[in-house]
Amino acid sequence: MGLRDTKLMAHLLRRAGFGATHIELEDYLQKGYEATVESLLYPTDSDHMPEDIIRRYHVDQSELRQYDAAAANWMYRMITSKSPLEEKIALFWHSLFATGYSKLNQARSLLNQIDMFRQNGLGRFDTLLLELSRDPAMIIWLDNDQNHRDAINENYGRELLELFSMGIGNYTEEDIKECARAFTGWTLGNVEYMAMRASKDSIWPYGRIAWHFGYRPEDHDDGEKTFLGETGNFNGEDIIDIISKNDASARFVATRLFQFFAADEIDDEGEKVVEKMMESYFESGYEIRSIIRTLFNSDYFKSGKARYARVKCPVEQVIGTIRLAGSYQKPDLGVNEVASQAFYMGQGLLIPPTVEGWHEGAEWIDSGALVERVNFAANELRKTKESGVRSIIDRMSVQNGHALTPNEIVDLSLDLLGSVDVGENTRTALVQHVREKGDVDLRNTSPGDESERRVGELLSLIASSPEFQMA
Amino acid sequence: MAPGSLTLSYVKTIGICNNGLNGRGFTNPVDTAVSRDGRIFVLNRCDQARAEAIRVGICTIGEDYLGEFGDGVGDGDTQFRLVAGMAFDSEDRLHIVDEGANRITVFNSQGVFLSKWGSPGIGDGEFNGPSGIAFDSCGDCYISDQHNNRIQKFTWNGEFLTKWGGLGDDSGQLNMPWGIGVDQDDKVYVADWRNDRIQKFSSNGEHIATFGETGQSDGQFSRPSAVALDARGNIYVADWGNERVQVLDPQGNFLLKIRGEATISEWAADFFVANPDEVEVRKIANLTPVLPPRFDTPYQISSQTEPYFWGPVSVKLDGEGRLYVTETNRHRFQVYQID
Repeated sequence: MGLRDTKLMAHLLRRAGFGATHIELEDYLQKGYEATVESLLYPTDSDHMPEDIIRRYHVDQSELRQYDAAAANWMYRMITSKSPLEEKIALFWHSLFATGYSKLNQARSLLNQIDMFRQNGLGRFDTLLLELSRDPAMIIWLDNDQNHRDAINENYGRELLELFSMGIGNYTEEDIKECARAFTGWTLGNVEYMAMRASKDSIWPYGRIAWHFGYRPEDHDDGEKTFLGETGNFNGEDIIDIISKNDASARFVATRLFQFFAADEIDDEGEKVVEKMMESYFESGYEIRSIIRTLFNSDYFKSGKARYARVKCPVEQVIGTIRLAGSYQKPDLGVNEVASQAFYMGQGLLIPPTVEGWHEGAEWIDSGALVERVNFAANELRKTKESGVRSIIDRMSVQNGHALTPNEIVDLSLDLLGSVDVGENTRTALVQHVREKGDVDLRNTSPGDESERRVGELLSLIASSPEFQMA
Repeated sequence: MAPGSLTLSYVKTIGICNNGLNGRGFTNPVDTAVSRDGRIFVLNRCDQARAEAIRVGICTIGEDYLGEFGDGVGDGDTQFRLVAGMAFDSEDRLHIVDEGANRITVFNSQGVFLSKWGSPGIGDGEFNGPSGIAFDSCGDCYISDQHNNRIQKFTWNGEFLTKWGGLGDDSGQLNMPWGIGVDQDDKVYVADWRNDRIQKFSSNGEHIATFGETGQSDGQFSRPSAVALDARGNIYVADWGNERVQVLDPQGNFLLKIRGEATISEWAADFFVANPDEVEVRKIANLTPVLPPRFDTPYQISSQTEPYFWGPVSVKLDGEGRLYVTETNRHRFQVYQID
């Protein structure tokens, strides 16, 4: 396996996951590209930090009363998961079906929604929409608990069409009303009690009670409806069937997946891939997994064009760096701060700014966010005692029986940080920095030694580079 | 009473979520202990946002809140990091185990600081995440040393006596042990948390018996967190992962299980007086709902079922034949009468 294979695999893992360590890359390379794609799409290794161990240590993550604990809990999962695409697709749907804590006062239900994304996020789109329509957090977030037979509330019906499936311009205002009518009666169990509790944030006597879906047939409008040209006594399931078979939905889903997994901007070549992804959508019976497979196996995705064509979102930046450093492998009170760091960079998990989610791509980077991104990554990779950084240093010392020249250690560092590509200017600056203090001798060193400290410093500098901000 | 027969009658629920504010109520309690004069001491672990409320609250079975002691998070004599368990010794001194500080802090029953001991490490007398504590009739104490996967035995003031355990699942080995109980014959029972079983040892650590295995059936456990013994040798287990309490007879045979039946405490009743809108909708709410299949684990069920135990981390008995079950996630404890 050559350098080209390694670079391609690193690219795949930056998109399908949160990047890969050099050891993980070696394992994936043994498997080969297409087999790796399949293993990512059909995750079999559910290993991650066990929930019982988390809950014993973190009482707030056991109770999950507030969003910061829930966000930290999801951070643990992303940091330690052996099935990175499962987490990545949950992040994708969380960005698209953005549901926020502020209106809910119920963090557990948000985390239950994320778990639903894990379970259904790679499956059929219609099933996912059905689960979404039954999701308690979404029901409160978009007021479907106030959508009654005799007084409809259009909020969920409108966003289902505009933001979650077809996109504006593909339906009429009348379709929105008919859609809302079809979802009347789709509410929570104990809805009066739970909605009242969601509306205020007082000190409830025994903490919060999580939510579950409840259907009230007596509050459902069973009358005839005309939706997107079809007429019948539609219920919510029928609406989702009609939405799912629509070309606009296929284009919407394929486009959003392309932008999340391939490139922020879609050029003409990219457009052709989107067309292929739409074909996969229909051929597979709306299966997300098949659409992503088509993308990952496309020449476009494998080409240089797609490399570093996306700005890492803050969560990718934070999780990717932590996975490289090897920190937070055991419960640690600092994990709440990890979740906060993504927020400081502009992406607070479980608290999206609006139902439209975050403005992505180049908008992730402004001067304030950039400082946060660079500082965080630099601090993590300076931790020479953490297992990931140690593994990099150990590999450097084993591979070379001599002191490493500036050129050698820069190339090794780039390679061992997950085969990072940098431009010539960046590389020259890195080499120059190392050269100021001469060769780096890692023979018989231990954490804290000057030469190991210099490696940590070099890794930090790489993490500060413009290239490291890109996926 | 015939041997083996036993009933637990629900008495009441005490507690309210106090959200870290001063005054009555609890914040993620992890243990209770009853002093000689019958006062109930409740150990609040708290999350980081409410770390100033890490302390011991004191109340009576009549639900009078008597006050609290402890000064929140920190390394001072009366401060804590991550409190995990506590027990009174025969002299009515309260010993609090702090897994974050790797320390034992001793108070008198008025909450006055007496002494502290313990340090991090793997050597004799050192700790890596101490969690549970219990005293025997000689006044010696047993402490579960969670991440060192062992039990250590000390005099009441911290002089090391012996140790046993080691990581594994063979008899006598342990995996992240948590709660400890001692019976009237000074046999030591350990909640072998990650091995889903209770192990019984002599006071010097010789393995005597193992009770339970992984599962949700009667007599099986999921991450048991505490164990207590009554005068007849019956074994009360906080079956934490199964969100229930089980009682075994002295031979380890299953006797009964309870899932919790909390009612409104006096403090919660006061809350509802001040929040009549919540009372009105509560009357029509079903607080023991049938849940969709996706929420079929005991943990998920408890998260949506207010009367059930949720995070039943500790079981303690008092001299009046009462059982106290502390619930971390509901900020309360339930009291049962043993007959």
